[in-house]
Amino acid sequence: MTSIRIRKGYDINIDGPPSFDVEKLEKPTRVALLPGRIPFIKPRLKVKVDDQVNVGSPVFEDKRNPDFIFLSPGGGRVSKIDYGPRRIIKEIVITLDQDEGYETFPIINEAQVEDIEREALVQKLTTGGLWPLFRELPFRNIPNPQSLPPSIIISLGSKEPFQPLPEVYLKDKIDLFEFGIKILNKLTETIFISASPGNNFVPDRLNTHVTHTCEGVYPADDPGVLLYYIKKHPDENRSWYINGQDVLLLAMLFKTGKYPVDRTVVLGGSLARERKHFQTRMGVPLNHITKGRADDAGTARYIVGGIFKGYTGSQDSYMGFYETSLVLIPEGDEKEFFGFARPGFNKPSRSRTFLSFFNKSSMAMDCNCHGEVRACINCGFCAEVCPVDILPQFTYKSILADEIEEALNHGLLDCVECCLCTYVCPSKIELRNILKETKKAYFLEQL
Amino acid sequence: MKFIQKIFDSKRKHFVKGGRFEKFYPLFEAFETFFFIPGNVTKNDAHVRDSLDLKRLMSMVIVSLIPPLFFGIYNSGYQSNLASGLPVTFIAVFIKGLQIVLPIIIVSYGVGFAWEVLFASIRKHNISEGFLVTGLLFPLTLPPTIPLWQVALGISFGVIFGKEIFGGTGRNFLNPALTGRAFLFFAYPMKMTGDTVWTVVSGVNYQGVDTFSGATPLAVSAVQGTSAFIESLLSKAGFTLPKLFYGLYPGSIGGTSTFMCLLGALLLVFTGIASYRIMIGGILGVLVAAYPGYIVSLVSGNSTVPMLSLPPFYHLVMGGFAFGITYMATDPVSAPGMNVSKWIYGFAIGALTVLIRIFNPAFPEGIMLAILFMNLFSPLLDHFEIHFRLKKRVPNV
Repeated sequence: MTSIRIRKGYDINIDGPPSFDVEKLEKPTRVALLPGRIPFIKPRLKVKVDDQVNVGSPVFEDKRNPDFIFLSPGGGRVSKIDYGPRRIIKEIVITLDQDEGYETFPIINEAQVEDIEREALVQKLTTGGLWPLFRELPFRNIPNPQSLPPSIIISLGSKEPFQPLPEVYLKDKIDLFEFGIKILNKLTETIFISASPGNNFVPDRLNTHVTHTCEGVYPADDPGVLLYYIKKHPDENRSWYINGQDVLLLAMLFKTGKYPVDRTVVLGGSLARERKHFQTRMGVPLNHITKGRADDAGTARYIVGGIFKGYTGSQDSYMGFYETSLVLIPEGDEKEFFGFARPGFNKPSRSRTFLSFFNKSSMAMDCNCHGEVRACINCGFCAEVCPVDILPQFTYKSILADEIEEALNHGLLDCVECCLCTYVCPSKIELRNILKETKKAYFLEQL
Repeated sequence: MKFIQKIFDSKRKHFVKGGRFEKFYPLFEAFETFFFIPGNVTKNDAHVRDSLDLKRLMSMVIVSLIPPLFFGIYNSGYQSNLASGLPVTFIAVFIKGLQIVLPIIIVSYGVGFAWEVLFASIRKHNISEGFLVTGLLFPLTLPPTIPLWQVALGISFGVIFGKEIFGGTGRNFLNPALTGRAFLFFAYPMKMTGDTVWTVVSGVNYQGVDTFSGATPLAVSAVQGTSAFIESLLSKAGFTLPKLFYGLYPGSIGGTSTFMCLLGALLLVFTGIASYRIMIGGILGVLVAAYPGYIVSLVSGNSTVPMLSLPPFYHLVMGGFAFGITYMATDPVSAPGMNVSKWIYGFAIGALTVLIRIFNPAFPEGIMLAILFMNLFSPLLDHFEIHFRLKKRVPNV
């Protein structure tokens, strides 16, 4: 086991962390798939409204690569297909039957996995609808099943507030996790598993699998950060990664022969009253999780997928394919009188310009920008937090000047999209968005 | 609070698109955001944001300028009353100082702000808070006797040619306040340098005398043709080391007191707004540049350049070095952004300051030119440091 100290990053001291408790939620009345939240795909529908589907029936596939199949997370009737602007498919809602039907997939036990051919295994994962759980760095797209990754990185971290803790989702599931690693071993020769140090929750058995402990603040657990620290050669840039919890799904598919829909999700944030882990399923409606567990739900912002990288949901929306976190914090759209001149004992800030520097307790945060957009003054705060040593203040300027080559030289593609640059910027420039959109445009150009 | 909000809400319609003063929306925005942090919320990623914004950042610089500002007011009044034979009680001196300094600051802010509004309105961007600092830094570098029309001219030059024609805040490569000062320095040297500009004389006792001649310590040190040790020469003129450090002597309004600048520097470094690398680099630069000459002059016992025999730490407390390296050199826009470059930049400013002071008889003070000169080099320093840094990366293209 190698231990790595991630030198840069930042942990926000936000109020409302979830507890370790787990509650099993009852079955929701409907679930949904959100094709618009899956990066870089062009969905082609395979169902119509009022079609009957089973758990595991194909619902849509990618037009560019039909191997990327997305299966139904519930058995029942397709009750609504919701289109967004420019006919983007936003939601495919499935009203669940009392007794859900299941598509069946071949059951493969651990011994059989050892003997199976790689192509056959890949094919089982793609038809099993779990291939999109893999993501390829640096663009975080779904990898081409035919390609061979230099390595697969599994991150057992939860540094972004607030993500399901590995100690919760791995509890009593170590066997399953090991099975999952066996499957991954067929896909690549090198597997990196990173965990935070001092994870004494992890039983010794799992510790034998962990290859790297990443010490440091957010986003030390990000697979891109680990790769940045360990890579020696440009070939390694195209490594894949998969979330720790999703490894369990791979094993579940092979073990049970059913499309696995179980997810451990987290509810956190200062407006959530019961902050803890929930065992529920993929595509669950957000209000199914928050019902009776949130204060003042009308004015709260529903952040799906993490405070930094997540997207804004609403009471009526659903958990996505990848997301396992729901955070409720105040919208914070009130004006503040003489805000800039206050001592700010309760104003969270990375800088030492507020008295909050002396306040070590966690603070309630809201979605206010705390200022207007201004020109970049080259303060360099973004470079101080960037975990992969990009110089966002220079890189973003080269992007604005259309010097993409220069931005790439700066390490644009190493960007792990952690959002810290956007978070700290006193000029309130959407740095991460600029970098991310440039990466996206570059990726689409190469297709 | 509600009341002020109502005023803004009722006037907003004139400034938004289609209103009568649509063009002056930046002015409206500047005043409104002065009173209220706006309620705008994050649209998507990074749902939460740091509480620090540019207004807070710049106000911290203003706070750090309070010690030199108040001391400058006191000192201007003190020197004036002393020279004019008026009472030097604290109240009298402070009021006198306010009479001298306040008009200069008001003109600087007023004229500069007008330019900012004009450019912001035409360019359709919001007014940056950076001007709050520029508009206060500029008057503090001026002699108290400066005519107000020159203040207006200087700040206009600084804002327009030091900043706005290059694209406004964030795109200027020169420090705007120093650009304005340099303009005045070369355009109106009689009012910016010499022995007579540092003290305002007034009052009945000195009718007929409209100037007071008092050499600054730098001028005393630069006197040619003496072989005596400058230290004793300075002491004779009343400039002991403690006096130079605390700054109660004639000079530019805010620049005399090293002690007050040190207080401001501590706040700036503690809050992380100004770079300690530039400041420490500057001090090192001064000492490294001054010591060899000092040692040579000690050994030879005689020197044709009298300034060489000045103990190097005197350079730190004399003239505007402390003020310049604390507030001007650390301007993040015109300074380099990379850490090693900041050391080099600071060091070069310190060294150049000393070289100009010692070897260039035309300019008794060198900090202004040293900073402006190094401003020109900071993009180059950044360029090379980034270049070397990128070589270490594993390419990802």
